[in-house]
Amino acid sequence: MKILKIFFHLQISIPLLLLISLSGCKSDFELNENLQGFSFTLSDQDGKTVKFTSDQKGKLIVVGFIFTHCPDICPLTVNNMQLVQKELKKEGIEGVEFLAITFDPERDSVKLLKKFSALREIDEKNFRFLTGPRKEIDSLMSVMRIVAVTGDTTMIDGSASYFYTHTDRISIIDQRGFLRTEYPGSKANIEEIVNDIKKLR
Amino acid sequence: MLNLIIGILLLATLAPKLEVTNNWVRPSSKDMNTAVYAVIKNNSDKADTLYSVSSNLAKVTEIHETYEKDGSMGMRKVDFIVIPAKKSFELKPGSHHIMLIKLNQDIQKGKKYELTYKFKRAGEIKVSAVANDKASGHGTH
Ligand SMILES: [Cu+2]
Repeated sequence: MKILKIFFHLQISIPLLLLISLSGCKSDFELNENLQGFSFTLSDQDGKTVKFTSDQKGKLIVVGFIFTHCPDICPLTVNNMQLVQKELKKEGIEGVEFLAITFDPERDSVKLLKKFSALREIDEKNFRFLTGPRKEIDSLMSVMRIVAVTGDTTMIDGSASYFYTHTDRISIIDQRGFLRTEYPGSKANIEEIVNDIKKLR
Repeated sequence: MLNLIIGILLLATLAPKLEVTNNWVRPSSKDMNTAVYAVIKNNSDKADTLYSVSSNLAKVTEIHETYEKDGSMGMRKVDFIVIPAKKSFELKPGSHHIMLIKLNQDIQKGKKYELTYKFKRAGEIKVSAVANDKASGHGTH
């Protein structure tokens, strides 16, 4: 069985582009997409409702996209976010929220996200793992331009095993809800992200 | 002089023809997946081929590689890896790895886990990989 899911909706990109051209650009960041109006309803690793991006207003958001069955890339992306979080803590920089959003909500339950977080010894004070209804995740991914496509599914011990080919990205959304900068998630340079956070504060 | 030559010859025969070192595995939990990493050193003057890895740790153990295509990251099975004569090959994050699919048990930080690498020339090599959540493939040795 082959499941193919491509998430890309042009109709959302056009109003976005309009907003980009209307919004004023501060500092040296090229990106300036407005995500202000969005309020995707998701659940964190404790089952608490989190609205993205409205709940994080006034804070910088460092957001990454993952699936917990990922063995090689997503753990690196989460690890990079964790390293940035540690560095900010060390330097006493506050007002930054870390969000790791799954594009595999069918398998990534609240419980599994909690387990994944515990396993990686995540400081959950300002770091959340988010899941939600498929439709909500799909629209959020298209807004953020994240693509995730499943490969062949094989049955192992009565349960479906499949992997995603996916965008590997960490993004920063500023206090007003503007998407400002992006990095290759698993290969991101920690120092660069920390410096950009300092500029965007 | 003769002693020296004998000594060198002895050392040459004592050094294993093929070594699998810096073995580590990323912590994970039962029913999930994870990856195993290592450095394979081929000390011999003939190329060798890794064609299989086995373990009781997971339902499926495969040789994999991570690849990038059109800005997306994916992963696929590879049938074998050739290690050229006198060369090393590193299984590392974001690259080639040993894939454990559907773990039979939790992989806990600091604990050791056994695997068997199978080479065409060197035969079977048993290793014990330490569970470690570091991003870089550079070992603890
Ligand atoms: Cu793999």
